[in-house]
Amino acid sequence: MKRVRVAIIEPSRIVAEGIEAILGRSAEYDVVCNVRTVAEYHARRGGDVDVVLVALQYACEELGSVFKIGIQTSLTEADLMRQVSSIVSLYSTEEEIFKALGESVDAPVATNFSDSHELSERERDVLVLVAKGHTNKEIATKLFISPHTVISHRKNIVHKTGIRSVAGLTVYAVLNKLIDSEQL
Amino acid sequence: MNKIIHMGQLVPLSKEMKLFELIDGYPQLLSIFSRLDIKLPFGDISVEEMCEREGFDAELFMMLCNMHLEPEHRPVDKDLRVEMLGGVVAYLRSSHRYYTGYMLPHVAQHLERVLEHCDALSQRVLRSFYDDYVGFLASHFDEEERDIFSLIDNIATSLDANFSMLEAPHGDIDDRTNDIASLVIKSLPERVPTALRCSLLDHIYMLRDDLRRHSVVEMMLLRPLVAKFQNSVQR
Repeated sequence: MKRVRVAIIEPSRIVAEGIEAILGRSAEYDVVCNVRTVAEYHARRGGDVDVVLVALQYACEELGSVFKIGIQTSLTEADLMRQVSSIVSLYSTEEEIFKALGESVDAPVATNFSDSHELSERERDVLVLVAKGHTNKEIATKLFISPHTVISHRKNIVHKTGIRSVAGLTVYAVLNKLIDSEQL
Repeated sequence: MNKIIHMGQLVPLSKEMKLFELIDGYPQLLSIFSRLDIKLPFGDISVEEMCEREGFDAELFMMLCNMHLEPEHRPVDKDLRVEMLGGVVAYLRSSHRYYTGYMLPHVAQHLERVLEHCDALSQRVLRSFYDDYVGFLASHFDEEERDIFSLIDNIATSLDANFSMLEAPHGDIDDRTNDIASLVIKSLPERVPTALRCSLLDHIYMLRDDLRRHSVVEMMLLRPLVAKFQNSVQR
């Protein structure tokens, strides 16, 4: 099985090495990069990372099309928490950390399309809300995910359906019985 | 460069060639004749003679033929003459009429045949989606005719006019045309007969490709000709 390539961007060495040690107990994950700043991350890595565990204070920075999990070590503004798909904290158990990473394996990443053209359950949820005319921000709030994740889902939906316009996606949702006329 | 077999040899298209040879070699060019409403029969005349009869610039006609056959074909700047401007606008206007009066209704007819095999809700949403698409194209054409072509008609008095709209990308049109094709391929029920579905797709893709060529003519012929005219007057 292909191992998930993980990068850690965390200013606290103790926290970063603690997370790396936990991930080292699973054969599924390969920590390919463990750095203190985003600049170091860009300097060390190309595009060959699947998931980034990133300190929440860096969550707004450009990390490319990767699945982002926030590392919360202190009280954080809600806006920053919305930039990541899930969060692990200093008090997360090993199981919770692996659960967050496990979600990333099935999650959409814009440049890493799966071969399947079937929409995932989450993509269908997003599609229905798009068809009903909701904005990315509204969809993020309704589904408890970050706007970044909504955008990734939307890119995958476009890739899988071949449809770009909202009107076209609405027709797709009706024809595929994801939505009925009363919901429009 | 598009070529044709003439006297047993492969030669580039030229205005000196017989009209019959051109059409017989590339029947897909008939849509240009249709949109420019060129009168039949041609008899045994050359392309140049036909253009003279129709009052259309022969060099421009050959450029349009080459661009129609080969989407990557680009006219050479030195071959562009400001006198061609009126002909290009006439061609673009007639293309608008060709889309609204012929191609779009034709796609609609094929769509209706397909919809007979769909349930009432699918019929309603697809029909409405297509009607919106037609309305979207019609308003785009109206905008071009009002904001660009009418200015070009009076270009001598509108030298300072801003033609930046010509540079606006036509990605929306392409996206929406592709959306229709994707819905027909991926989302219509299996009971729609394949022949009807393929026939509809044929017409959608013909329309999409023609709209793409239309946009290339605007970018590669109309835009440089307007610039050339403005420069020549300013000098």
